This record gives sequence, C-alpha cells and structure tokens, in this order.
Amino acid sequence: MTPLIVLVILAVLIVFWVVSLYNGLVGLRNRFKNAFAQIDVQLKRRYDLIPNLVETAKGYMKFERETLEAVIAARNAASSAVGRAAANPADGQAVAGAMAAEGALTGALGKMFALAEAYPDLKANQNMALLQEELTSTENKVAFSRQAYNDAVMTYNTARERFPAALFAGAFGFAPATLFEITAPVEREAVKVSFT
Amino acid sequence: MDFFATQERAQRHTARLMALFALAVGGVVACVYLAVRLLIYKTEDGPTGPFWNPKVFMPVATITIAVIALSTLYKIWSLRSGSEAIANLLGARRIAPNTTEPAERRLLNVVEEMALAAGLPVPSVVVLDNEPGINAFAAGWAPGDSILGVTRGCLDRLERDELQGVIGHELSHILNADARLNLHLIGWLHGLMVIAFIGYWILRSMGRSSGSSKKGGGAAIPLFGLALIVIGGIGVFFGRLIKSGISRQREFLADASSVQFTRNPLGLADALKKIGGAKDGSKIANPNAEQASHLYFSNGLKASWLSALSTHPPLEDRIRRLDPSFTGTFAATDPGPKLRPVIGVEIPENEERLAAGVVGLGGHTIAARVGTVQPTHVDYATQFIASLPAGLRERAREPATAPALLFALLLDRDPEVRIVQVRALEGAGPFLFDETQKAAAILASCPDAARLPLLDLALPALRQMSRPQWDAFRITTHALIVADSRISLFELVLQRALVRHLGPVFGGTRAKGAPTAQLSDRTTEVGLVLSALGHACGSDEPAAEAASFDAALCLLGGDAGSITFSSRDDCPPEVIDRALRSLAALVPQGKKRLLEAATACAVADRKVTVAEAELLRAIADSLDCPVPPFLPGQEV
Repeated sequence: MTPLIVLVILAVLIVFWVVSLYNGLVGLRNRFKNAFAQIDVQLKRRYDLIPNLVETAKGYMKFERETLEAVIAARNAASSAVGRAAANPADGQAVAGAMAAEGALTGALGKMFALAEAYPDLKANQNMALLQEELTSTENKVAFSRQAYNDAVMTYNTARERFPAALFAGAFGFAPATLFEITAPVEREAVKVSFT
Repeated sequence: MDFFATQERAQRHTARLMALFALAVGGVVACVYLAVRLLIYKTEDGPTGPFWNPKVFMPVATITIAVIALSTLYKIWSLRSGSEAIANLLGARRIAPNTTEPAERRLLNVVEEMALAAGLPVPSVVVLDNEPGINAFAAGWAPGDSILGVTRGCLDRLERDELQGVIGHELSHILNADARLNLHLIGWLHGLMVIAFIGYWILRSMGRSSGSSKKGGGAAIPLFGLALIVIGGIGVFFGRLIKSGISRQREFLADASSVQFTRNPLGLADALKKIGGAKDGSKIANPNAEQASHLYFSNGLKASWLSALSTHPPLEDRIRRLDPSFTGTFAATDPGPKLRPVIGVEIPENEERLAAGVVGLGGHTIAARVGTVQPTHVDYATQFIASLPAGLRERAREPATAPALLFALLLDRDPEVRIVQVRALEGAGPFLFDETQKAAAILASCPDAARLPLLDLALPALRQMSRPQWDAFRITTHALIVADSRISLFELVLQRALVRHLGPVFGGTRAKGAPTAQLSDRTTEVGLVLSALGHACGSDEPAAEAASFDAALCLLGGDAGSITFSSRDDCPPEVIDRALRSLAALVPQGKKRLLEAATACAVADRKVTVAEAELLRAIADSLDCPVPPFLPGQEV
C-alpha cells in the first residue's frame, strides 16, 4: 500500500508544480502586456502632437511639402502599427512591426527638424517651441515606459527558457516576447535643402 | 463602527472558516472511503468483507487529506501576491492611471476621491472587459495593497453617483478586512473543489482507453471517477455553504457603510435597481467566477435554487434597506452601452485652506477616526484634488514622473540638508533629476497637509514600475533619507509607507499572516517610536519633549513599566524604521492603544499643528490604519 500512496502523492506534487509554472508564466505575460499598454498611452500622445506640429511648420516651410507629408504618413503608419501591437503584445511580429514603424517616424521627424533649422522665423514661433518641448517630454516618458516593458519582457523570457518550463512552454502556447527598441533608420538620405 | 473591533471580528471569522473547513474535509474523507470500499474493494474482499477496514481507511484517508491539503496550500501560496493574482485569475485588465478615455477617467476620479477621503492609498483599478453585466469586486491582503475591479457594464451603464455608491461599497470591504477574508476563502475552498476535478479527469482518461478492459475491474474505475465527481460536488456544496454563511451578512454591512461615506443612499439603490432590470444583471461569464463568487458586489452566478447557497442577500432586500419606497418592480433597462456626458461635481468654495494653522484634535480621537469616512471627507477630497496645481496632479498620475514627485516630497526644508540630497538625486539620472526640481518648485507653494494625500495619489502610477526601476527608486529614496542623520520623522514615515504599500507589488517579503504581537512584547519599539514622536512634537525644547513622552506613557498604563525616553542620538532613521516595521504586526487592540498614546504625545502641549496631525496620520498609515484627512477648523 505504501508505495502506492507515495506514488500518488508524488504525482499530485508534480501536477501542482506544472500548474504553478504555467500560472507563473501567465502572470509574467500579463505583466508585460500591461507594460505595453503604458507605452501605448505615451505613444498616442506623441501621435496627437504631430499633426499640430506639422500644421504650424507648414505655414513657414512652404517648400518642404514632401518632408512634411512624409512625417504625416509615417505618423499614421506608426499609429496603426502600435494599435495592432497594443491589441496583442504577445504577438512578436506585431511588436516588431510597431518598432519599425516608430523608428521610421523618428527618422522622418528628425529630417523635418533638421530642415527647420534653416527657418529662423519658425524657430522663433512660440507655438512651435511649446510643441517641441512637449514632444521632448513625451519622448522621455516613452523611454521610461519602454524600459519598464523591456524589463518585464526579460523576466518573462528568462522564466520561459528556464528548465523545466522550457519543456512545455511551447506546447502551452507561450511564445518568446519581443523587446521594444527604437531603431533609427541606418541609412539617411542626404538632406535636400532648397534655396528657392 | 470601531475599526479595530471589526478587524478582530474578521480574524474570528477566519478562525471559524478554518473550523468549518476541517469539518467539511472530514465529511469528504468519509464519503471517499465509502466509495472506495463499496466500489473497488468489493472485487477483492468480496461483498461480505468487514465494512470498516482500517487497512483500507488509512491510505484512503491519507491520500484524500493530502490532496485537499496540498491543493489548499498551493492555492493560498499562489494568491500570495494578492492583487495581481486576483487580476490574473479573473482575466482583468489594469487601467492606466494616466488614462484619458472618458469612462475610465471618471472611474479613476471617483476611486481617487473616495480613497483620499478614507485616508487609504489609492488602489489599482482593473476592468473586466468582456463582462456586460454590472458587477465589482475588491481584494487584497492589506488596505495598502488592494485592488478594485469593475465590469465593462459598470463603466458603460452607471451614472457617476451610482458609481460612487458601488465604489464606496467596495472600499468598505477593504476597510473592514473583508477583502482579506475573501482571499482566504478562495484559498481554503479550492481544496474542496479539487476532488471533483480529479473525478472528471479519471472519467475522461478512462473513456479514451475503452478498448482495454481488465477482468472485472473495468467498470469499477470509471464508476470511481463518477463517485469522485459526486463527492466533489458534495465538497463544492459544503464550500458554498461556508462562503454564503460568511459572505451575506457582510454585504448588508458594506451597503450601510457606503451610505455612510456618501450620504447618498439613492446612488447605491439606483445601481442595484439597474442590476435588477438589466438582462444580464450582474452575471459574470468567466468560468472562474465560481471561485471568486463571494468577492463580487452582486450575485455573479445564476440564482441558486437554495437561497442558503447564495453569496449575496436578495436584491430586493438590499434595495429596500436603502430606499424604503421601492415597489419591487424593476424598470427594464436598455442593455446597450450609453455614456451620458459627465456632469461636473460641485466643488465647494475653496475658502479655508489648511495653511500653517492649528488643527483641533481630541485626546482619543485619532484611534476613533480610523476607518470612518464621512460625506464631508469625500467633499474635502474632491475639492483637494481639484485645487491641486495641475502640474502636480499630472505628475502623480504619470508613471514616468511619479518617482520624481516622491523624491520632491522627501526633500528637506533645511537648505544644508537639501544640498546633500540634491547630490544623491544626481544618481537617479538626468530626466528624474530635472523632473524632481520642477516638482519641488510647484510643491513649495503647497500646504503640509498635501504631502500624504499626494503620496496616496501617486501609488497607482508607482505600481507600474518594473522591478529594476523599483530597485533604483528605493536606492535613491534611501539616499535622500539618510542624507542627514537628523532626519525629519515625517519623511521617514513616508518612506516606510512607500515600502509597505509597494513592497508586495515588487515581490518583497510580506507576511500575510494575521497580526499577533501583543503590546507588552514590543515595548522597546513602542518606546523608540514615542520618543521620536516626542522629539518631533516638542519644538526642540527638551522639557517639552519629555513632557509629551510622559503624556503618552500615561496612556499605556501597566505596559509602560519598562519604557524610557530615548535621546535623539538613540533614534537614528534605521532604528525607527525597523521599530515601525515590527509594530505593524501588533494585534488590533495593541495598535489602538499605540495610536491613542501617540495622540496624547501630540496634544501634550495643548496645540496640534498641521504637521503633527499629518505625522499622526502617517504613523497610522504605516500600521495599516487608514485615517481620514483632518478638516480645517475641527473642534478640540
């Protein structure tokens, strides 16, 4: 009788162990999903600021239409990409797509600001200064929430890859999560400043 | 409503729960033995074997008890993180503290107002997105580490004052230690339900291997599985009986408390009427709803055929207690979402501000004020939040800048100390450094009474930090505190409150066991804290400080025998911090006497400044005793 009891209890313990590993992974996944929601909040603010920024700049940078339109296009692309990722942050591809779109937007904005240097009237504009200040502040907050998200992703990935969770993580549908890093486009086109 | 008495009553309920649980386990073991004896062993022993067979009983009893005990222990262990575990269990989504979505923002505003009115740290709020019914819950091991949840239906369908009634009801669960008892219930009853799950599993796996049938034993094992399901059903039945016995009376109490907070019984009554009239009512569709059925505001399951099994009193009874004119018929409500535009809350004229004035405080009053919320407190909290400089309000709700606000709160008034602190701040990075400077500039124009509420407001945003960010935050706050060994007691107690409320979120060790220390066992710590308080309230005159301390000692009576007044050098920050941590484990009566002694200390010089009042509030907060804010011009 005794070996049977021991076996049963052992089996029960193993089941609990697996269940607790599973629940642990669920908890960690929820944590990084929640952290991505915070990134979403900050990025939405960024996207809300940009149309106003472009409108102000349009009045002064009359001959840089292409650059300004590129900013709006990049902003729309990033907004929808991040929205898709926010709907399911556990989807690695969606997050990677959001990263790429954000990187493109940063590049487009950088180009616009580089061009704006040549327009002293624009630089003196109060509204422009205010918007730029808010944009910088938002970027700092994005950095903070990105750091929190990446920390949560690291914790989840580590737990997922540890033995013995690694044995069944894939079977239970725990995919590796993607870190969120802003990648600026590597090659930059030569900035074309028109002198007309 | 004596806060400390209700805490003790909740502890007694927990003891009663465990006794009932033990009885139920005994019943289940007997049933399992019967099943085994009749179904499995009759093939070996023959039906004429002795009915009571100790050789069979021992292993059966051992295995059954082991399974139940292990399940229960596992469940309690898995709930150790309290708020986060419940959110995961119910599939809830956390609401960002800096959200701009109108319905969510309105809910967070209501929660902030009511939490500040009660002197509670603002709890995190989660929403059950997929539930169209109207329901809410509150859970947590301590008032400072609790979680509030609402369904999507609540967000869409309730008006602001109905929402206030519901939130008041949930907050009173937190104040009455019901939230803690609820978590115990989930843990303990899980073991009873696990037998049924094992039965299902056996049936399913036997069904799959129907090809192989052992000689004669082929029918016994599936039957055994079926028997386990039936027995498991008995376990579930016992479980629900226990839950409902404990849960129903507290619901009436929570309703009454909510009315006390808001002075508006119709708000809560209207919410209950909406539940009665709606198609989905308060039903929760999530399959895990059974486990947490006692947590909810209203019945989350289908109405039980046996009223004794219901976790909530009947809806009509609850409404009639709030609104005697209720006729008993529900107006059918449109199940579609409709969010009417938010009508602004009336803010009373901002005449009296708690400037550096004097606050009246009766001798035993602070202990009596714990856990009591009046409508005037709610009005005050609403006005307070509205009159905060916008920069501070936003900083408190923004996860990136909330740490900076906290650093600014910890900056000392003394310019020499500040220089050292600024150097410590540089280690936090340029962004936080700049934000702290900005926040400090705005804070300079705020009254003393704003500091503790600002900390309470900032807690939801601080909970969004990651573990490494929290570690860095702790290092900086520690550096700020020890910048000068002559630290202000208030800043020290603020830091203690931070660690106490945020530690569990980030996996710090947190004893969730019931407080058991007696005052007579903790006399050293009591002496240290009262000495520090004496120094703080004595306005730097040694005679006054000693007098304050003696006044406090009088109130402690017999236990005061061995306590002596410690000098300032004997009360460095780390020592006081450790003392406060140890005192948090006092039994409720012990905390009550400590708080009464602390009050006596502050009133010894016949004058209680705002700073001293806030210090008392902060000390009470570090003991998990929420005290409502002091209103201007309160009587002595």
